[in-house]
Amino acid sequence: MVWRIAARDLLSTLRDRRTLAATILMPLILIPALSLGLPLLLGSFIGGQQQERQKVGVVGTLPLALRTALEQDEQQGGQTVRAGVTLVPVTDPGKAVQSGDVEAAIQAPAPLPTRAGQGSAELEVYAKTSSLRAQAGAYGKVQDVVDRYNRTLTLDRLKGLGLGADTLTPVTVKSIDASPPQEQRSGQLAFLIPFLMLQFILSGGMATAIDATAGEKERGTLESLLVSPVRRAEVVSGKLLATTITALTSACFSVAGFLISGLVAAIFLKTRSGLGADITGAMGGQLSLTLGGTLALLGLAASAALIISALLIAIGIYARSFKEAQTYIAPLTLVIVLPAVMLQFADFLTLSTAVYAAPLFGSMVSILNIVKGAAQPSQILLAILANLIGAALLSLLALRSFGREEVIFRN
Amino acid sequence: MTQTQTMLDIHNVTKTYGKFTALKGVSLSAPEGEVFGLLGPNGAGKTTLLRILATLLRPTSGTAAVAGYDVLRRPEEVRRRVGVVNGGMGLPARLTGREVLRSFAGLYGMNRAQTEARIAELDAGLELGRTLDVRAGDYSTGMKQKVVIARAVIQDPPVLILDEAASGLDIFARRTLLDFVLATRAPGRLTLYSTHVMSEAEEVCDRVAILHEGQLLTVGRIPDILAQTGEGNLERAFFSLVRGGEQRAV
Ligand SMILES: Nc1ncnc2c1ncn2[C@@H]1O[C@H](COP(=O)(O)OP(=O)(O)OP(=O)(O)O)[C@@H](O)[C@H]1O
Ligand SMILES: [Mg+2]
Repeated sequence: MVWRIAARDLLSTLRDRRTLAATILMPLILIPALSLGLPLLLGSFIGGQQQERQKVGVVGTLPLALRTALEQDEQQGGQTVRAGVTLVPVTDPGKAVQSGDVEAAIQAPAPLPTRAGQGSAELEVYAKTSSLRAQAGAYGKVQDVVDRYNRTLTLDRLKGLGLGADTLTPVTVKSIDASPPQEQRSGQLAFLIPFLMLQFILSGGMATAIDATAGEKERGTLESLLVSPVRRAEVVSGKLLATTITALTSACFSVAGFLISGLVAAIFLKTRSGLGADITGAMGGQLSLTLGGTLALLGLAASAALIISALLIAIGIYARSFKEAQTYIAPLTLVIVLPAVMLQFADFLTLSTAVYAAPLFGSMVSILNIVKGAAQPSQILLAILANLIGAALLSLLALRSFGREEVIFRN
Repeated sequence: MTQTQTMLDIHNVTKTYGKFTALKGVSLSAPEGEVFGLLGPNGAGKTTLLRILATLLRPTSGTAAVAGYDVLRRPEEVRRRVGVVNGGMGLPARLTGREVLRSFAGLYGMNRAQTEARIAELDAGLELGRTLDVRAGDYSTGMKQKVVIARAVIQDPPVLILDEAASGLDIFARRTLLDFVLATRAPGRLTLYSTHVMSEAEEVCDRVAILHEGQLLTVGRIPDILAQTGEGNLERAFFSLVRGGEQRAV
């Protein structure tokens, strides 16, 4: 009986092109776009700035060695990894930058030293220092070149004294990334994974839930269902099942979306190198899963789909029309967005076990842990249990509403 | 002679919505083999009474039994035996008529063969034709109402509750409906027919009850009501009874 009720609601959903697109296409397109497109865009932007020859204004003259270093391309294995800049004479460095004629401008009020030991002089660098474009482009390049110039002069001087380059750095630091390999791969956008998964569970279940509750009222089909010899509990279970199935379908396609973007990213990173690719790798929210991780993820998604579906149905049955239900349900997105925002800073929070007992939020943290390869089975089970208890309570609430005249015949 | 069975037994039923009393102690009974009319102006309480009989609403006090089962104590038995149609009922827009009928047959526990045989029967009786394979979202009012009726009687219930079932229908669809109702006047069956349209009641109802502001003004065979009021037709008799009821209430 439960399945018959569910099949009826599912068939209706399946015939609805728009809902189908929202359930299947949206996660498949939106997720790779967000988790891949964003880092790729940033990576290729920064890479582009590295490759571009920006104009840098110069007031007066510069030491020849510094000029050459600024103009020179940096080569590695026959490839230009960083283009030099084009130096153009300007009179007012500040104005030249503001007008956009040059990306940066340099001015040495006093002659610059050409050898170490000649004292120190200031080089003024004009640029829009907080702009990412300047930092990745002209401003960053000037700073790098000056650093290297200083180092070259110092090394020359040390050599004259019979000392090697190691004199400058008696102690060097070598950092080794000790985060698990999965965490390294998951990148800074990893928090997007639990957020988008739950978001798609919500948006995937929404249409079916409203259609099966307020929609039935609006169309005048609820009454005929309630006069059939099906128990109220079966009606509610059937509707819950249908909603959970569409919600889970959406969640599965969102996982597929992540796996696709992980695959594409792997291919992309193999064919490219340099700073741009590094940034893409560091930012990207990519998913690579073990079998256990996949199962845990499915369990979390299914239990989250169940509690969200129960919530949707409990709310949907109160509404008199599709529209009214939508206005009640729209704010639910916040229930997912707000925890996701917190999740971004999960590194700074010391999470106690109690967090995992919070329905939905516990699942989000657990999914993030799985993505980072740092999940603990007990925490995952706790999170699933919390969802199931929440789902049971909300289902009882929905069942009560289905039995109440004031709710069914609200006018 | 076999004894006729009482299909409907309502005893002193009241129903309040918050402070408002929609039914004020209604008692009625009807045997099998009748089409029983429920007449009354807007807000009289017809829909409320019929929903109580369909177990959708609980009476505030009093008892009601349908096909021998108490609506409060055995609601599932009652639901197994009633088919309900009201003017506001619709169909799932993205399903075809046939799919709706099959899905409901499943809810009543009918098997495939029973279902298909019953659909063929209803197809003939209600002249459904190609309507069955069109999605309900594309139905005209008449097509929709016919499928709604077919859905309500898919399990061939002994008790049929029709609440303003003919509203909005053109003369062809109305004719089909009235003929269908007349065919239910048979042993072991009872049809409750609520309407505003007196000519419909005159044509199909064996007996009628006139309800006004939650109270029964009269119950009886149409010729008896005409004789009792001294009026020539049911519409005039209706007015005379309703006015009389209002005067008594003052
Ligand atoms: N859910 C409800 N809440 C409050 N009052 C209600 C509710 N349903 C019906 N009523 C009131 O109860 C009274 C009887 O309503 P009911 O629908 O039973 O009348 P009716 O005879 O079917 O009228 P109509 O001919 O307009 O269909 C009306 O005054 C109506 O406003
Ligand atoms: Mg009514």
